[in-house]
Amino acid sequence: MGLTYNEKNNVGVIVFDHDDSKVNILSSDVIKQLSAALDQLKDREDLTALLIVSMKKDVFIAGADIKEIEKIVEPDDGAKKAKAGQDVLNKIEELHFPTIAVIDGVALGGGCELALACDYRLATFNPKVRIGLPEVNLGFIPGFGGTYRLPRIVGLQEALKMILAGRPIDGAKALKIGLFDKIVTQKGLDQHIEEFVKDITEGKLKKSKYERRKKKKGFPGFLDHNPIGNRIVFDQSRKNVLKLTKGFYPAPLKAVDVVASNFYMDRKRGLALEARGFGELAVTDISKNLVYIFYLSEKYRKLSIKGTESIKPANITKCGVLGAGVMGGGIAQLLSSKGIWTRMKDISLDAIAKGFQAAGKVYTQAVKKRKLTKAVAAERMAHITGSLDYSGFANADYVIEAVVENMDIKKSVFKELSEKCSEHTILASNTSALSVTEMSLEVKDPSKVIGFHFFNPVHRMPLVEIITTAQTSNETLVTSLALVKRLGKTPIVVKDSPGFIVNRILLGYICEAGHILEETGELEEVDLVMTDFGMPMGPFLLSDEVGLDVGLKVMHILEESFGKRFKAASIFEKILETGKLGKKSGKGFYDHTIKDRQVNTEVWDLMDSQFTRLDKQECLDRLVLTMINEAAKCLEEKIVEDPGAIDVGMIFGTGFPPFKGGLLKYADSLGIAHVVDQLEKLQKELEAERFAPCQYLLNLKNQNKTFFAKD
Amino acid sequence: MEKIVVVNGIRTPFCKMGTDFNNLSAQELGRIALRELIERTPFELSELDEVIIGCVGQPADAANLARVVALLAGIPNEIPAFTVHRNCASGIEAAVQAAIKIRANEGTCYYVGGTESMSNIPFYLKKSLQDQLALLQRAKTMGQRLKIMVPFFKRYLNPMASLEIGLKLGLTDPVCGLNMGQTAEVLAKEFGITREEQDDFALLSHQRAIEGREVLKEEIVPVIPAPKFKKGVEFDNGPREGQSMEALQKLRPFFDRRSGSVTAGNSSQITDGAAMLLIMTESKARDLNLEILGTIKEFAFSGVEPNRMGIGPAHAIPKVLKKANMKLSDIEAVEINEAFAAQVLACLRALESDQFTKDFGCEGYTGVIDPSILNVNGGAIALGHPVGTTGARLILTMLKHLERKNLNTGLVSLCIGGGQGAAVILER
Repeated sequence: MGLTYNEKNNVGVIVFDHDDSKVNILSSDVIKQLSAALDQLKDREDLTALLIVSMKKDVFIAGADIKEIEKIVEPDDGAKKAKAGQDVLNKIEELHFPTIAVIDGVALGGGCELALACDYRLATFNPKVRIGLPEVNLGFIPGFGGTYRLPRIVGLQEALKMILAGRPIDGAKALKIGLFDKIVTQKGLDQHIEEFVKDITEGKLKKSKYERRKKKKGFPGFLDHNPIGNRIVFDQSRKNVLKLTKGFYPAPLKAVDVVASNFYMDRKRGLALEARGFGELAVTDISKNLVYIFYLSEKYRKLSIKGTESIKPANITKCGVLGAGVMGGGIAQLLSSKGIWTRMKDISLDAIAKGFQAAGKVYTQAVKKRKLTKAVAAERMAHITGSLDYSGFANADYVIEAVVENMDIKKSVFKELSEKCSEHTILASNTSALSVTEMSLEVKDPSKVIGFHFFNPVHRMPLVEIITTAQTSNETLVTSLALVKRLGKTPIVVKDSPGFIVNRILLGYICEAGHILEETGELEEVDLVMTDFGMPMGPFLLSDEVGLDVGLKVMHILEESFGKRFKAASIFEKILETGKLGKKSGKGFYDHTIKDRQVNTEVWDLMDSQFTRLDKQECLDRLVLTMINEAAKCLEEKIVEDPGAIDVGMIFGTGFPPFKGGLLKYADSLGIAHVVDQLEKLQKELEAERFAPCQYLLNLKNQNKTFFAKD
Repeated sequence: MEKIVVVNGIRTPFCKMGTDFNNLSAQELGRIALRELIERTPFELSELDEVIIGCVGQPADAANLARVVALLAGIPNEIPAFTVHRNCASGIEAAVQAAIKIRANEGTCYYVGGTESMSNIPFYLKKSLQDQLALLQRAKTMGQRLKIMVPFFKRYLNPMASLEIGLKLGLTDPVCGLNMGQTAEVLAKEFGITREEQDDFALLSHQRAIEGREVLKEEIVPVIPAPKFKKGVEFDNGPREGQSMEALQKLRPFFDRRSGSVTAGNSSQITDGAAMLLIMTESKARDLNLEILGTIKEFAFSGVEPNRMGIGPAHAIPKVLKKANMKLSDIEAVEINEAFAAQVLACLRALESDQFTKDFGCEGYTGVIDPSILNVNGGAIALGHPVGTTGARLILTMLKHLERKNLNTGLVSLCIGGGQGAAVILER
């Protein structure tokens, strides 16, 4: 059963309480039940009001059933599904007595839309209260009347903001924009509800939710209420969406289009338009990919390793960070932002100052964007201290080293840490490619050593690669995973191997880009091919951002371990020899010193001038197939078991386009046979062994399998 | 009676007003020092009873500054904190409060200290201007408004005419109407202390502070000041490398331009800084296996005329010796805060004088203080005098000195604006 009905003092109550689940979901079944319940009520003359409540803790209704949406393959089918929901919510709207949604937790997607169909929304001060329409994140638009009702309740601008960003808002904001009519304490909720119903029946609140809305004045009013003003809002929204999505994501654009039309329609036509839009989008590959990634990221966000469920993570109140530079400062900032006391150690005050600068910058930005108040930012920042010695490390629960990528230095650092920290301290390395196992040989208790690989910039990149050695204990792993989650990041767990997953795959790709550059003399074009593909930046700009010295160092490590396929194109060395390190030194492949970044013309002087023409498709194949081949090798070597981990890693670690569904999901969509054939073709045509498809791929092809088993 | 020990202490560098710490508030300076002390001391915060911090120019945006500092430094919510104010002895007052509480069996462990940002003491609107602003707010018609505003603008075109400088107010005694420098002039004239003697004393302070740089570094935590975090500050910036008699002699008397002898050069500097100490009972320190820096043996305060406030130490020193049943000759090292060279020299003269001893009935507790054991690493003339901090700094500096030189007994004393003296006997 999804819902029950009861009555008290002539007030009807529909209670959502989904069996065997922590949340309520508006599945087709539940919608049918709701419909039946409403049919019973529609002719009741004796009822004074209807309440819609949830029995779930911290949840009103979490949304529609994504599994059902996932299965939609025909646009008409999707539109029909949406209409079925719309019709039932219309029944709520048509009841002749007042309807009140009592929101004491999250009300998302369909849950939000159900609340919108009610006359009143009464919420509690529960900090878990969130309301919003996150549909665009899954590649479709709201389908249960959200695009029609929300702009009429909160005004056009606020509604578009909510629909297009897909970001839920908290109770205070919802009250401010008129989405909630009242917020009451959780304590004595029943009494508050009674009083609210009394206020309504006594006529203290206007019945029509659309008339109840306060008309805005001045320019905001012009934008909300005047058709010309509306036009400006729609145009501006489209522009912003295009800027943000670069046109890769159709859902937000569709949402603007739908609202731009149904804002002026009656309910019947308006809802029909929305249902059609929903159906069209729900069947797209992009939506399917985004849904896949939603599930995948949910799984990894809450990742727990089989066999470790009974282990309780150790409490972490104090961390040490070794190496205070930009990375160390970024890590310290992140730790401090979660209220963890953080001690940065480095060898000079100047280095520590760099760490403070990096952390301070993130907080300053957050204050500027009003994400934090000045007081809170200062309080968090005060969690960071600097030191030239190991004082304050003895009581650290967790230490992350981010010193230079040099094995000898790392080893000596681990040796020192092992002496200065306590027995319970976990010692983690933020290395991007070096062997954690080798470092762990230096310490008294290697079971306490683990890799904790952040991506730059730390506060923005959502991925952490957790690297386990053969010695790493489950306790160490569990505590590390808990820390990743506390920091709001998504972990993937990989075995210790040079470059782990993300950098290994990424550097194969950058390496290949270097070869293409040397063959064709095209630099911006290659970057463009990849940004057109959906990568946030092309391989050469990425090299500049990372720093050529850093990238090359990792490439050497990989070459040492995996051989010639990681041999860097000579252009990397040549640029480095001229002293250009990339963005941090002003110039690399690009000249970053001028306002509109341009190709660093010195690059041309460093190459032969015998070029072949760039074939864009071949360029894309070479770059993407190289990544797929390398990823398959990682699976072959069992560095990770789940191909999903690679997709999570590439999306959250490198910005691989989510709408393509992740690297290996994309490989599946290309077809394994196609991937193998293309690789073999490249191998032959370019006479380059590096393209030889790995055994794992060949096996998949021979067994007619894909990376991800089909349901 | 159980011994009261100082386990550890730390301070920020002292930086002249308007220099490196210009943008750090008193609470931020205090926070930095206290947090660093916590980091450096293997002491579980759950053992702590209270945090007590002295501050003179208590910031309006940090009411009960000690609580603000404690929370920002990571002291658990359950542990209370309060701020103390005994003018220039606020830092000592904090330590003394802890000692008194320990003696009264109120608790066993206290973080104490002082913090001051003289760069951030605000300017105030003059009362007459405040009144006019209030009138302006109440005015209803344009005519009324104009009537107030025209003379208002005429009068207050010069912004300084409408402001009072908080620092100046704080350094002026409201009872006798003299500012601190003028009280030093009173003593200089009473004891016949020449300009040259004062300048000599000031020069020595700078020379000793420069020489003691590496030594003082032991008690300092380098600070990388927000908001830019540009560079670390490791040393006090008051001591002048090439300070000379010629340079000192060139300065004009600041407080009595015609007939005075007290100059900016032979007065303490106006400075920002914080110092913190961890104080507990000896048995507790032993239980927790903590190394002990030294012991607070005895303390005393005494009162004098506000216009002779600088003579305070000459009264507090015999008083504390009497309380401890010790003689001045038992003391192996002395710190008398150098608010003004004239005032320190006046205290030395008074303590040497039989007349003084007789007048105040402190026979047996006065005598000569050997200049070679007085302020051996320089004093406030070179290092600066962040008023609320200095008392805690003197305890810290003295204990580190005793440890370094393997001495047993030290005495620290300060004069206190408003006419008081403070003295504390420390032991190892």
